[in-house]
Amino acid sequence: MSYVADPESSILPLELRGIARAFGRRSILRGVDLRVGRGEIVGLMGANGAGKTTLFSIIAGLLCADGGTCRFADTDLEAGAVAIRARLAYVAHGPQLYPLLTARENLELAAQLRDAAGASSREAGGMLERLGLAAHADRRIEAFSRGMAQRASLARALAAAPELMLLDEPLTALDRDGQALVAEIMREERDRGAGIVLCSHDLETVLSVSDRVVLLEHGVISGEVRARECVDLHEYRRLVTNLGTVVSTRRVGAVRQMA
Amino acid sequence: MSLLRQAFLLARTDLRQELRDFEMAVTAVFFTFTVLIMFVLAFATLRPDAQSHAIPAFLWITVALTGALTLGRVFDRERETDALSALLVAPVERLAIYAAKLLTTMSVLLMCCIVVVPGLVVVFAGARPLLDRWPASLVLVFLGCLGYAGVGTLFAGGLARGRGKNVLLSLILYPLTMPVLLYALVATQRLLENHPDLWQTLLQMAALDVLLVVVAALLFESLMLESRRYSVPRKEVS
Amino acid sequence: MKRGRALLCYAFFAACVPLFPYCVNRVFLETPIEAKMGTVQKIFYFHVPMAWMCMLFAVICGVAAVIQLWRSSPSAEAVATAAGEIAVITGLAVLVTGPIWGARSWSTPWTNDPRQVLTALLWLIFVAYLLVQRYGPPNADRLAAGLAVFGMIDVPIVYYAVELWKSTHPTTGVVGSLPSQMWSSLWLALAPLLLCTLGLFFVRIRQERLSQAMDAAWVAFDRVGSQPA
Repeated sequence: MSYVADPESSILPLELRGIARAFGRRSILRGVDLRVGRGEIVGLMGANGAGKTTLFSIIAGLLCADGGTCRFADTDLEAGAVAIRARLAYVAHGPQLYPLLTARENLELAAQLRDAAGASSREAGGMLERLGLAAHADRRIEAFSRGMAQRASLARALAAAPELMLLDEPLTALDRDGQALVAEIMREERDRGAGIVLCSHDLETVLSVSDRVVLLEHGVISGEVRARECVDLHEYRRLVTNLGTVVSTRRVGAVRQMA
Repeated sequence: MSLLRQAFLLARTDLRQELRDFEMAVTAVFFTFTVLIMFVLAFATLRPDAQSHAIPAFLWITVALTGALTLGRVFDRERETDALSALLVAPVERLAIYAAKLLTTMSVLLMCCIVVVPGLVVVFAGARPLLDRWPASLVLVFLGCLGYAGVGTLFAGGLARGRGKNVLLSLILYPLTMPVLLYALVATQRLLENHPDLWQTLLQMAALDVLLVVVAALLFESLMLESRRYSVPRKEVS
Repeated sequence: MKRGRALLCYAFFAACVPLFPYCVNRVFLETPIEAKMGTVQKIFYFHVPMAWMCMLFAVICGVAAVIQLWRSSPSAEAVATAAGEIAVITGLAVLVTGPIWGARSWSTPWTNDPRQVLTALLWLIFVAYLLVQRYGPPNADRLAAGLAVFGMIDVPIVYYAVELWKSTHPTTGVVGSLPSQMWSSLWLALAPLLLCTLGLFFVRIRQERLSQAMDAAWVAFDRVGSQPA
């Protein structure tokens, strides 16, 4: 399934073509085509095990693709150079912070490491305050709740002022206020010009923040809806659900033909 | 320069965490002490003339055991919350991670040697030259630990990407580090006997360490991350 | 091409069929019994070729592992795996025959001879290689390759280190010089053993390659079957 690129995005931070990945004999990704423009939030939806995290790992350089190309700002991501890594941020499902360090120290370490690589960062304290952790900045991560660690992890990613953000289920552990806050921050980042890929299987949250929602199903992008095309949330949801099922029945047909 | 700075930052992070709970240092040092006591109990009646043959073994078996214990946990703080993945995604040179972890392992091992070497001197009269010729002992202990930790850090890192496969580490570690340990045994014995070739042996050991550390550093990235996936041989598929 | 390689394997095995009995005949009946060690010395004609082959396949495995890591080559991985397995088998043969021979000729099965220690360590390294492949984490293939690379580097160093180590622990027991007739029997005994292991080696490479192709075929089938019509 291919689609025309968003005409509003002049430069494409991220362009995936035919990304495939198998683990042993199980094919997880079967040719994912995805473009993420500047200043765009793309919601990536899919059931458990659809390959969302695998796709993110490939973009982040933790895994290699079996086939296809993954380009970021016109550079092949597989090169995995430090300069490229300085421009993207990946917030994984877990917090990935040092538990014995405080939130501030974790952010400062990341900033210093970036600084050594010649990349600038935003100020740690301000970022923690933005995510509502100002009072807890000097507490250790091990004393943090799951949601607070999630916020700290997001703060670290935001401090890098990345051009591309990959967010793997960033809202699940957060309370209502936190979710609203993160959604607001994501919009801010988008307006700054960052491309954001937001992955979740929770329809409601994805729909509320994304400009565009793509559906990852059976290892391919099987459908896409644009947020601006519809106004009514119910209508929108129906569309996404329908797209999913339509593609699924098609696929069954294809398998039958082969057999 | 960025490599050295990042390595320093990461090593400092390890140190900072260690200073908050002392887990690795305390357990490793106490473990060393336990092993030492076991050797003392097992070989309490060792004749003095046989001691010079046994002491090198006591020293390096202790280092090997403590080293395996330490290397099994040197990536634990990263593994707990998968901070290692965050480091691999961040603009951090992979070599800086290796260098920092090597430094951490070395520090712990040297700390253990500070316990075990004087301990041996106290318990076995034959170990006295270790203290008398302390500059040579210092160099010897440093070189022995460096070779061991150099190889060990590589495989500890490679195993840290999986979940809890630390039993494989000892399996890999002991046979692979045998050349270093054999050299260390020879050098220790020469030190005890005041052999004229001692410094030459230490020089060879240094060369061996350089070789092992360089090869380990070269392999580190490809053991941590997939470099390129196999392209499927199409013609065999059809 | 694939067919040709399979034929080569069969040719190797076929050549072994007449060569083996001939070789046994030659070693036991036509080569004179060594004066000092007696009949037990006959084991030498099988032990030494096995030891050589163990070294050979250890080096092959190490070189293939370097290529595997450097070029991400699946064929190199197949070669390394096959060579690692052969090194373990031949190493085991060496470690069994060596002490039997040693027990009679040196009157002790183990003398810390550099070659003995080297073989034992090499064997341990390649057993670890197979265990890592079998039980390792998802990146086990690369971990095992790293192990093989170090295994290869360790070969000369261990040999030298044990010589050095032994110089501080004097022991006796040297294999004396052999008459030329015994040498020629040794070379002859090498032939069927080498052909047999090479045959096994190629069979294993082929199996590994087929297994990789099977995986690829499954993945390819999976990929085709899932695409929307």
